[in-house]
Amino acid sequence: MVVNSSDRVEPAPGGRELETQEFVVNMGPQHPSTHGVCRLILTMDGEVLKKVVPDIGFLHRSIEKIAENRTYHQFMVYTDRIDYVSSMNANHAWCVAVEKLAGIEVPERAEYLRVIMAELNRIASHLVFLASFSIDLGAVTPFLYAFRERERIVDLFEMTCGQRLTYNYMRIGGVSRDVPKDFVSETKKFCSYLYPRVDEYEAILTENPIFLGRTKGIGILDLPTAINYSVSGPPLRGSGLKWDIRKDEPYSAYDVFDFDIPTGENGDTWDRYKVRIEEMRQSARIIEQALEGLPEGEIKAKVPARFRPPKGEVFARIEAPRGEMAYFIVSDGSTKPYRVKIRTASFCNLQALPVMAKDLKIADLVAIFGSLDIILPEVDR
Amino acid sequence: MTAEELTSKIKATFAEKVEELPAVTGIPAFRVKAEHLEEICTTLVSDPELKFDNLSCLGGIDYPETNEIGVVYCLFSFAKRHHLNLRVMMPRENPEVISVSEFWVAANWFERETAELFGIKFKDHPDPRPLLLIEEWDEGYPMRRDWEGKDFIRMPEVGQEK
Repeated sequence: MVVNSSDRVEPAPGGRELETQEFVVNMGPQHPSTHGVCRLILTMDGEVLKKVVPDIGFLHRSIEKIAENRTYHQFMVYTDRIDYVSSMNANHAWCVAVEKLAGIEVPERAEYLRVIMAELNRIASHLVFLASFSIDLGAVTPFLYAFRERERIVDLFEMTCGQRLTYNYMRIGGVSRDVPKDFVSETKKFCSYLYPRVDEYEAILTENPIFLGRTKGIGILDLPTAINYSVSGPPLRGSGLKWDIRKDEPYSAYDVFDFDIPTGENGDTWDRYKVRIEEMRQSARIIEQALEGLPEGEIKAKVPARFRPPKGEVFARIEAPRGEMAYFIVSDGSTKPYRVKIRTASFCNLQALPVMAKDLKIADLVAIFGSLDIILPEVDR
Repeated sequence: MTAEELTSKIKATFAEKVEELPAVTGIPAFRVKAEHLEEICTTLVSDPELKFDNLSCLGGIDYPETNEIGVVYCLFSFAKRHHLNLRVMMPRENPEVISVSEFWVAANWFERETAELFGIKFKDHPDPRPLLLIEEWDEGYPMRRDWEGKDFIRMPEVGQEK
């Protein structure tokens, strides 16, 4: 049917002008692009977001309370569940904190193995980011590619510790077992396989006009706001700060490796994506150096089963794939921690979402949420 | 600033308003009174030598034996690259302290979490709703050390199991 302009319905004589009204949309808790169970309460004016209020806590398991009721060794298993996409890094953070508290000297080989595992897991985690981010923006191909590469990392983990998701590989004072004899050569093969794959992702996405339209200039987070909101990891670097705990407060064996810290310029969604892509290359570089220099020797310091760290407190943080992961532990000298406070990157990064999404469209909210790479168990703990 | 320099700077600036605690593995730690917190935070943020622009972590801590409950602030300065650990201790009945979210927005959620899990009231909090627990929660403050829940079983100390 053709509508002529003369057919338009005119407002009744004396009628009022058209009014618009803000309305509330509930997004989640079950929503494919919230990557878990997160509810966002959106106040909309037409298609424009006026207010975003995250509602979290659906996955709260009170891991901090559980920690007070477990020994230091037993709690390792729970750290896997804080961030299951990069459990090696969560393990690592706990080890670093407890070892700092008790002053445990970790054998060099164990430190190297930890670095290799943490970096492999960082690549795997960034691949999951790439997969879910691209599918949120409607690109299905990178999703399949990224999971193809992640599979090879998961295979490497499986041959080392028998697990494919929650690895529980590290121990206080070292690692649980040495790597099998093929591991070094297989990991080297994987690294040389990865570089051209990352180039391939970039060829598909980085300069793709549709991708650019969805990400460039969207969700800008300026640096002072990022710091005030305690945003960390790739979003912070995307906002232009050259800051990486691996480099600036080195833990484990990170001080011996040579790698760059990628940063963004505008702090938009594209910058956060680009930082992660570059980090994958840098992680592969670290792994290659660590494999090259992997020393022989012990893989675990002697830590008693009834391990009692001295009375005291510790605050230790590491650079996890999503940003700063820290443990604040209070020890009363018994086998169980008196208090454990877990500071996770997603918790703080999610809090900054409303600032980034203000006055944008719902579709942009999905892109921004994806670019923050939030993982909900880490938010709720 | 190194830890020693920072310690003496804090002591010189705040004099008797701060009480030095044993360092948290290298990080200077101080205990402050709830009524001085606002003034101290203002200086910590604005002083050109201190410049604490980042609240890395905030959490509660409970000591039923001495009838004290407190809030621990882990501060960091990106500008100056130094750490500081502050804590406010209060009696366990009716603990109340100002919200520091006007200095560091990151405190907003940390304080909401601490408020519902420890039962500490944060005065002038911009959004004092519960954060993590279910809406109908009425079983007290679960992160307090003496909390009893119906499914919560305290594990014995290792080596003393029956």
